[in-house]
Order: sequence, then structure tokens, then C-alpha cells
Amino acid sequence: MRRGALQRLAAMLVVAAGALWCPLSPVAAQAQNVLVQRAMDLENAGKWRDAVIAWRTVLSTGDVAQGILGLERVYQQMGQDDSVLPPLDSALARAPKDRLLHGAQLRVLRSLGRDRDARAAFAAWTQLVPNDPTPYREYAQQLLNDGRATQADTVLQEASQALGGTKTLVIEVAQLRAALGLWGQAGPAWREALLSEMYLEQAALYSLAPAPRARRDSIRAALRAPPMKAPLIRTLGALELAWGAPREGWRVLSALTAADSAYPTWSDFADDAERLGAWLPARDALVAMMALQPSPVLTVRAANAALNGGEAASAVELLAKVAPTLKPAVLRTQVLPLQVRALSALGRGAEVEALVARHADSLDAGTRHGFVRQLAWAWIRSGQIEKARAALVGATGDDEDEVTAWLALYDGDLKKARAGLKRPTESTTQVVLAIAFLSRTKADSAQGVGAAFLALARADTNDAARRFERSADELPDAAALLLGVAARLRSARRDDAGAIGLWQRIVIDYAAAPEAAEADLEWGRTLRRHGDATGATTRFEHLILTYPRSALVPQARRELDGLRTGAAE
Amino acid sequence: MKRTAWMNWARRGDAVRRIALVAALLGAAGRSVPAQHLLVPMDDSQQNHLKAYGLTFGVLKAGGKAEWFLNYRGGSFLLPDDAPTRRRAAVDGITVQPIDDGAVTVIRREVASANMDAVTLEKAPRIAIYAPAKSPPWDDAVTLALKYAGIEFTQIWDDEVLKSDLGKFDWIHLFHEDFTGQLNKLYLGFRDAGWFMEQRDRDLATAQHNGFQTIPALKKAVAWRLHDFVQKGGFLFAMCGATETIELAMAAQGVDIAGPFSDGTPVDPDADSKMDWTNAFAFQGVHLEMSAGVNAMSDIDGHQVNVPARRQALGQFTLFNFSAKFDPVATMLTQNHRKVVPDYYGVTTSFNRAVLKSGVTVLASEDGSPWAKYLHGDFGRGSWTYLGGHDPEDPQHNIGAAPTDLGLHTGSPGYRLILNNVLFPAAKKKPLKT
Repeated sequence: MRRGALQRLAAMLVVAAGALWCPLSPVAAQAQNVLVQRAMDLENAGKWRDAVIAWRTVLSTGDVAQGILGLERVYQQMGQDDSVLPPLDSALARAPKDRLLHGAQLRVLRSLGRDRDARAAFAAWTQLVPNDPTPYREYAQQLLNDGRATQADTVLQEASQALGGTKTLVIEVAQLRAALGLWGQAGPAWREALLSEMYLEQAALYSLAPAPRARRDSIRAALRAPPMKAPLIRTLGALELAWGAPREGWRVLSALTAADSAYPTWSDFADDAERLGAWLPARDALVAMMALQPSPVLTVRAANAALNGGEAASAVELLAKVAPTLKPAVLRTQVLPLQVRALSALGRGAEVEALVARHADSLDAGTRHGFVRQLAWAWIRSGQIEKARAALVGATGDDEDEVTAWLALYDGDLKKARAGLKRPTESTTQVVLAIAFLSRTKADSAQGVGAAFLALARADTNDAARRFERSADELPDAAALLLGVAARLRSARRDDAGAIGLWQRIVIDYAAAPEAAEADLEWGRTLRRHGDATGATTRFEHLILTYPRSALVPQARRELDGLRTGAAE
Repeated sequence: MKRTAWMNWARRGDAVRRIALVAALLGAAGRSVPAQHLLVPMDDSQQNHLKAYGLTFGVLKAGGKAEWFLNYRGGSFLLPDDAPTRRRAAVDGITVQPIDDGAVTVIRREVASANMDAVTLEKAPRIAIYAPAKSPPWDDAVTLALKYAGIEFTQIWDDEVLKSDLGKFDWIHLFHEDFTGQLNKLYLGFRDAGWFMEQRDRDLATAQHNGFQTIPALKKAVAWRLHDFVQKGGFLFAMCGATETIELAMAAQGVDIAGPFSDGTPVDPDADSKMDWTNAFAFQGVHLEMSAGVNAMSDIDGHQVNVPARRQALGQFTLFNFSAKFDPVATMLTQNHRKVVPDYYGVTTSFNRAVLKSGVTVLASEDGSPWAKYLHGDFGRGSWTYLGGHDPEDPQHNIGAAPTDLGLHTGSPGYRLILNNVLFPAAKKKPLKT
């Protein structure tokens, strides 16, 4: 062969080799993207057979990972999981150390129930990469995801022996401890993992959230141990929220240094707390955020949370700070309704009146009507019924108006109250009580009971209890109910002797009343609380034997069991 | 229908027919004649299986007699119909069916014609639980079950075992006490835990005031007293780690099997060959776990829960059927409304069949596994029962776990096995037929 021909041949071989080993040219890559996109489209359209062909084409053009994963998904949809194994085996023969392919192989074999083959494939993988934690991590993760914690444990034990420890598998070890219910060890394990990888906070939360109540303290102790770094604080705060302890969650998160880095964490917490109805921790988080980045929006949210959480005074204070800085339209639509609600809840009628008057010109009729009702409630709460009645003059003449109904009830006009409370807008304890009472008695007037409800509205529970008790004699058809209310109020005031007297009256004088079983139960519980086990036992047994069909019988039995076993109340 | 044909129909009939017959008999009796018996069904119609045992125990305690209809409707009880029994049944939510003599006769005929038997229960057994004074009730499934069912017991501990007359008890229960004196090898993971240190100090003080230098020496002596209790006619019921360790302690009299962390001296390297298994109730040829670093005592336990590399997964165990008329004891111990029960871990969860002595009765085991769950046997004039695992309703049961609320497991088949053992000593002894 001539020298020139040899040079040409060599040049051709170099070009050919280049074509084999160089990355895809931009044109080829674009063509492959089109193929992948087409396969995805077919898959999304549920055209499984066409999708198989398309993913095989992707595979043949060199995008092994995309092709295999696509085939795995599609064959799974078709219920032919094992069909992916031949192309997978071929791909593994070409790239024997490819983690993704090995992971897919383990996944498919396990989903087929071929656990022994999966185990053998795992063993073969570990032999290919002797000092690499990847096979152990992948297999342990898959087993954990399947809930096969003990098998995952075995894999990690093997990793420990093969790698001389599990330092490279901290996440899997932590997940395993939690999956096995070893909460005392799961806390420290997750602590170690969180300190090594910050992105694990969500994984830690997911893993530790199922811890039973009795074991949570060990997790708390592990995450709180010094030095308490930010990832630990954030995780523990989120855990407390997940465990139904939002107040504790905020206490933990508030320890974060007040800096911009804390803002997103506090913001997430506030969002979650609002969603869960944990209003006061939400308020505290929002206030902390306001200190970092003052904002009227945050202030209004904080005030709303405070109001929903029952701290109207806090809402008034927050709104007072922000009101002067807002435009009139924002003030009128977002702040004023909250201010009126908060002041009404506090019984500050004069301030509600002044505030509404100041904005009267800019309010529409519907809003004004709502504010008048709030004003009436404010007067009622401060015990000024006449002012409440005066406030409603002109605002409504409707007998079925709810506020009017309450005023009628306070006056003892049960007929009017009954008409107005047919469809209450709220279902608070007081509303339920009023409706129960009105449906129980046939009387059309009862001033004593009205005065008792008014005392209750004013939060004068002592006076209310006395009046409900006294009213029982006036209304024999509702006597047991009224005595029951009085007893509950006395019990709430820790006047147990007074409450017992009332429950006793119900059980003896009104044994056939619906309240009798409840009276027996509460009487027994109070005696138990005072250490009178014999007396309490008598009451619980009386309830069970006298009212065997009562829904309270299981509770009475549990109380008896508690007395026998010494379990805490 | 003629009377004979009618009775034959009843005898052949299924449960529905039986109920119909009982109801018919009750109806025929009319309101003027009160029922004379209370049938306590123990099948799925029972609302509170566990308290039914307490009800029966209460009848015996009050001087009454009861009958246990083995294999009849889940192992039902027949109690006298009196006001206190009815009252307690109502208060505890126990299902009872008042029946008269005629209905009882029908039941007896059915019992006579099938693999069933009627055993008279005549005396409430005197029960002792071996537990330290400060032991919380939820630390032990038996204490929990007895308290829930309302069955009286006496709590005893090392001093009482060593110094008092155990003959005053019919039945002694042991739970996860380590009779090898190694405190369940919890030294490995909990040596700095307050509760562990308190337990170790308490046992050491008990050992010293009883004249023993070490905890292993104390516990071996306690084990030997319990060995004597059974030999003289007592009934021993053990669960969890007590099953395995009392066997080791009895077989190791004179052999050092305790690790240096518990008695300051190493385990005798020839301990395996020096063990005298004739002293043990259930096992022989057992290999000891010599390593102080491995939280296992021997190869008795099939599950080895505290050794991660050896731990076996939980399955379910099956209660064996026995001939009620020829094996009444085994039948009593396995009375249940379920035959397959989910397994649960304990310090000792199960018993390796390979090391069982011949003559030991396997009451329950996991199909296809090399281990048994529930064993019974005689020794001297007494008998013993071993049930593996800690708490039938808390399969994992970790240290510090919340107590099991039996009010949520009133029909627990696992707890029924415990309570079968409580009533078994109340049975009137019959001459053995095998």
C-alpha cells in the first residue's frame, strides 16, 4: 500500500473512532431530545405499546438511562415488569458499574417478588465496587421504602463490616432506626445526618414524625443537645408542629438567630400553623417576621391570627400600630373589620361606635349592618343590654335576626329567641346550649334563665351558675338541663362540692332525664379526682347498670379500669 | 316432632340451631322460672374475653364453682346465675347468656359427642407475680392482664422467694427477669441510664443482704427456689426473657456463665460442656452466647431480637388442637377464639425446637419455622408453661414504650393464652387418660 493511502486510512479510522467516543454533536443531541419527548408524550397519552417502541429507540440511540427508566415505567403500567430485564441486562453488560442501572435492576427484581435474585444482584454489585457505599445505600433505601426494615438492617450491618463503618450511610442508618421503631437511637442518628447534610430536614421530619408520644422526648433530647445548629432547630420546630404541639414548635424556632436566614423558616411555620388553626403560635411567628421585615400585610395577618386565637387585645394593639400607615381603602377593607371584631370581643362598645362612625360615609349598607351587629355584641358583652337594643334600632326589625334573638333570650322572651335561633350562624358552646334549652322547654318566657344566659355572656360564671340552678325550679321540663349547666360551670370554677350537689340532684330527682348518665359520670370523675375510689366506683357502676344503653357506658368502664389498674386519669 | 328426633336435630345442628334451641328452651321455661346458670360464651359473640376470666375467677374466689367447656364456643364458662355475677358481668361489659338446666343438658350432650370436654373449676388459685416493688404494671403483660381482668395476686421478689414458703401459692409468674444475673445484658446499651443503674444497685443490695457477693449468685439461688417450687407441685408460668434465663440458671448451678460486667469474672470457657440440663425443665444441649458484646443469652431464642444481624422477622403462630378428653391440660392452655395469632417480640421471643427436651408439649408454633412459641411440661409434681415474647398487643415493645391499653384489646387472643394459664390451676384434677 502506498504511504498516501495508509495516511488516508489512518485518518478515516481516527474520524470513525471520534464518532464513536466523542459526545453527541449538538444536532444529534437535539434529535435525541426529540425522541425522548416523543416517548414521553406517548407514555403520558397511555399509548403503552407505542411508548415501548419509542423508549427502545431512545435506548438504541445511546441514552441508556432515559431509555431504561422509560421502559421500566411503561412495562410496569402494562403489568409486564419482567420485560425490562433483558434490555437492562444488556445495558449492564455495557456499563457494569452504572448505579442507575443497578438501582433499576434491584427495583424490578423486588417488584417481581424475586427477592433472592435481587439479593444476588446486590451481592454482585458490591463485588464490582468493593469500597463503594452506593450499592448498600441503594438497596437499603429500597428495602426501607418497602417497609422491610429488618432486611435493610441486615444490609447496613453488611455495609458496616465491608466498609469499616456506616459513616457514609448516616441517612440510611437514621431512617432504619426510625423504621424499626428504635426512636431512642433514631434521634441521635438523624442529628448526625442533619449536621452532615442540610437538605435532609424534610426527610428527617418524615421519618421522625410517626414517633409515638412516649418516645418523643428522646428525639427532642437528641436534637436539642448542644451545639444546637440551625438544621436541628428547624427540624425540631417542624416536628413539634407535626406532633400537635405548635406552641412548643414556635418556642424551638424562636431560638433561631433573628436574621434574614430565619425568615423563610418562620414564614413556613406561620403558614402551617395558620393552616392547622394554631393561631397564637402563628401570631408569634408573624410578629417575629415583622421585626425582621416590617410589613402591613404581616401585621394584618398577625392581628387576624391573634383574634382567631382569642387574644383580641393583642389584635387591637397590632392594628393600632399599622392603621396610620395604610391607605384609606386598605384600612377600610382589611383593618377596620378586624378592629371592630376585636373591640367587640373585648366589649369595648364605645370604641366600636366611634370607629364605625368615623368611617360611616365610606361603608356600604351590608358592611354597616354587620358592624351594627358587632356593636350590639360589644354592648351585650359589657352587660349594657339597653345600648345593644338601641344600636339595633333601625338596623333590623327582623324577628329572626340572630342578635335580636339573643337579646330576646336575655330578656327571657323564649318565643322570640326560639324564632331567631332556628338557623344560627355559629355553633359555639353557648349557641348549642341555648338551642338545647329552647328545644327542651315548652315555656315561652323565663326571665330567670334569660338573666342566667346574660351572666354567662358577661363571663360571670358564678352568677350564671347560681341563676341556672335557681331557674330549675321554675322550669321543671328543662330542670335537669339547667342543673347540668350549673354543675358544669361550678366544676369549671373548681367548686367541686357545689357541682357534686347538683349532679346528685339530677341523678336522684331527675333519674329519667338525658343528663342523668352524664351527671353520674361527672360525679364519679370528681370523686376519683379527689381520691374517693369507692365513691367513684359506686357512681360508675350505677351509671352502667342504670343506663346500660347510654353512650357514656364505655367511658364509665374505662374509668373503672383506670381505678383498678391505677392508670392515670 | 318427637322428642328424640328433636334432640338429634339439635345435636347435629350448627351454632345457629344451638342458639335457637337454647332460646326455645328458655322460652319454654317461661318468665316464672329463673335461669339457673350463666353461660359465658368465648367465641366472637363475647364482648370482653379478658374480663370473662376475671368474672370466672371472682365466682371461684367467692366460693362458687364453675365449669370450663373446653372447645365449646371458644372455651366457654358456665357460672351459677346469681345477682353478684350478673352485676359484675353487666358492669364489666361481659356477654353472658342465662340458661336453665335443660339448655345445659343440651350443651353437655354436644360436648360429649365432639372433641370437647367439661372441666370443673373449683378453687381460685393463689397467684404470685415475681416483680420488684417499683415495677410499673405495664412492664409485664401478665400484671396488666390480671389487673384488667380484676384477678387478685400477690407481688413477690427475691426476698420473698428466698425466705418465705412458696407453697402458699399455686401459681407463680415470671416475666423478663434475667436469672443469669446479667440484667439482660442491657449493660451494653444502657449502662448510663438512670433506670438501669437503679435496677443494678437494687439487685446488688438484695444480693448482699441475702449473703451473696454478686447478682448472678443471687439470681441463681432464686431460680433454684423456683425449681423446687415446681418440683413440689407448683405451677410456674414464664414469659419473655425469664423462660430462657431460668433454664440457663437452673442448668448452670456451679458454673460461671455470667459476663465480667456482672460479676467481675469471665465466663467459664468450658461452661457449655459443664451445664447440667437434667436440672432444667424444657431445654437441653443449649449453646451459651459467650460474648459479652452480643445481646443474646443462648441459642434457645429463635428470633434473637437484640442481635440485629441474627434477628428474624415476626410471623404468626398457630395454636395446636389437642384432644379435650385425653389432653385436657394442653386443651385448657390453648382455648381461644382464634387459632392463628400474630407474633410479638420479647427478650426471648420463641424457642428453638432443636434444643427442646423430649416430652415437652409444644402448644403453638409458627408453621415452617424452626421455633415454637408456647410450651408446657411437667416437672416433679408440678408443671410449667413458657410463652415467648413480651406483650401480645405490642409486637415491637421497646423499653419505655407506652403501656398497652387493654380496654382497646378486649378480645386479644394473645392475652387469652396468659389468662388460660391463670385458670388452669383451678381445674379439678381428673385421672389422666394417657
